[in-house]
Amino acid sequence: MIKKIYLIGNPNVGKSVVFSRLTGVQVMSSNYPGTTVEISKGYLRLGDEEIEIVDLPGTYSLEPTSNAEKVAVSLLKEYPKNEIAVVNILDSTNLERNLLLTLQLIEEGFPTIVCLNMCDDAVHRGVGLDFKKLEESLQIPVISTCAVTGAGIKLLIDRIKEAKPAFRDKLVHEARWVEIGKIVEQVQRLEHRHHTLREVLEDASVRPLTGLIMATGVIYVSFKIVRFVGETIINKITDPFFFNILQPFLEKLTFYWKEEGFWFHLLIGDLINGKIDFKQSLGVLTTAPYIEFGMVLPYVISFYLILSLLEDIGYLPRLAILLDNVLHRLGLHGYAIIPVLLGFGCNVPGILSTRVLESKRERFIASTIISIGVPCVPLQAMIFGLLGRFGGLYVGGVYLVLFILVLILGVILNRIMPGYSPEFLLEIPPYRFPPLHMLAQKLYFRIRGFLIEAVPIVLIGVAVINILIYFNLFDIVTRLFSPVIHNLFGLPKEAIVALVIGFLRKDVAVGMLMPLGLSAKQLFIAATLLAISFPCVATFIVLWKELGVKDLIKSTLIMISISIIVGAALNFIILR
Amino acid sequence: MSEKIKKISLVQMKPNHKGKVIEILGGTNLQDRLMNMGVYKNKEITKLSHIGLRGPVVIKAGRSILALGHGVAAKVILEQE
Repeated sequence: MIKKIYLIGNPNVGKSVVFSRLTGVQVMSSNYPGTTVEISKGYLRLGDEEIEIVDLPGTYSLEPTSNAEKVAVSLLKEYPKNEIAVVNILDSTNLERNLLLTLQLIEEGFPTIVCLNMCDDAVHRGVGLDFKKLEESLQIPVISTCAVTGAGIKLLIDRIKEAKPAFRDKLVHEARWVEIGKIVEQVQRLEHRHHTLREVLEDASVRPLTGLIMATGVIYVSFKIVRFVGETIINKITDPFFFNILQPFLEKLTFYWKEEGFWFHLLIGDLINGKIDFKQSLGVLTTAPYIEFGMVLPYVISFYLILSLLEDIGYLPRLAILLDNVLHRLGLHGYAIIPVLLGFGCNVPGILSTRVLESKRERFIASTIISIGVPCVPLQAMIFGLLGRFGGLYVGGVYLVLFILVLILGVILNRIMPGYSPEFLLEIPPYRFPPLHMLAQKLYFRIRGFLIEAVPIVLIGVAVINILIYFNLFDIVTRLFSPVIHNLFGLPKEAIVALVIGFLRKDVAVGMLMPLGLSAKQLFIAATLLAISFPCVATFIVLWKELGVKDLIKSTLIMISISIIVGAALNFIILR
Repeated sequence: MSEKIKKISLVQMKPNHKGKVIEILGGTNLQDRLMNMGVYKNKEITKLSHIGLRGPVVIKAGRSILALGHGVAAKVILEQE
């Protein structure tokens, strides 16, 4: 009687894709090791029963050497062996390395079924596998699948119950590799082929000179595409909607709505020169939807389009190699570039993925750096929205300040924090080209996540702010903080409201800054402070969960002191 | 003795050269991690590249491409003909 099914396999063999196929539960998958940092669970219908399936983090071995592996192995041992089925997923293009785990599973007596995934890629790369021979030699069922297209999944479901233990002598390390060598020799036929363009590119991207040239090109092109796609959506879709449809409609409404009472204030906000101004009116029906859908969403779409593409192709680990040197000085190693890049989309998944880093020390440094110096898409859209009209110098200036801060902060944390950061040891995946539907699905998944998270908070946030303003309740806060804000940062005292609101969500805060009529330099300081002071409340909660209370407090103190120092410094340098 | 065998670390080996692992210095955890990824005693590996002065070393072991931090690479001792 099977009560649980476990999916186990080396990192980056496509466990999460198989999981999605089996359960219908969409989980994030990418072409780099360590995408799955949380344990996903779902159900598979087999006949009339529903059986729970658990997607375990990737592990090379049952003798764990990292935290993720420890988690995987301990979960596997939760239930008695006769009540579980283990689906061991292998990368068909790299049978040798994958078989280590398979042999260990068999030696330990787990009822196992082998799923040779990525069979299409194996064909492309000239790797021929004899499944029958492998089945004979392992004495357990072997199935070939290609999870991204769905090939073989039905067969896997049909045969999952055939998972069975087999007898094998327990071997020690090197002997096991010798055994694996023998099996591979029997079942694998390598076709000799010329190098394909893909292989030439794979090779070039890990060599110093060509790698650097490629990295520069990839980053430059990515940035250009993100801007181009974002601007196209704004100019062709969202702006026409807001200015040609919503604005005339709302203005007609205000024409009949003479009395400017509480509801008018709440829903429409203030009229600027008798007209609705989507950036400044600050109403629940005007500024709130404009910020989310007209300014932030287009860039969320374009950013995640490019990030998802780079992830699935498998470029990010190559970037990690090139940046290892620099990141080492900050107490991190190259792989920290993955959480940092995710953080540019939204800090929450960025901080969650710091779990790919081994030590607590690295996770603390990376999380703190992300929450201070890595602006998320909404925040970046706001920085562009606030400062764009004053020219690239101001926008670039904010990024420069953030970049310098990250470097200084990293170097200092690396010096003063006890302990050391472990070295980098990473498998570099081959380039893969995801089918378009996988990419579309992933993009949809991320955009939906953004909308669910952001829209209610922005609407409610703007409503609450309006109520507070209407009843003059902000005056108390304003008066309390005005010495700091005014004397130290050179900002009008009303700006504190925006900074406080920034804790809720960064994009709401900007709606508060726009109507204040600040000068370019003041906006520069305000935008920088918005970026480096407290992260939004969602990030805060994740920091708390990931770091624990003590480190959260440490991290927060760092944020507050940096905000004060940087705010004051900028004020004295550029305003005085 | 016509053939001369050199013992060098992975850091010292030149890119595009092959060598056989004869020893992995350092703790058992590192040895186990490398072992699980397919780098173990007597395994022949190819060094692909070395990034910067103290950057990571990229190798090919079997069909896997692995990147090893500089410190790790210095602990992998190879025998080269």
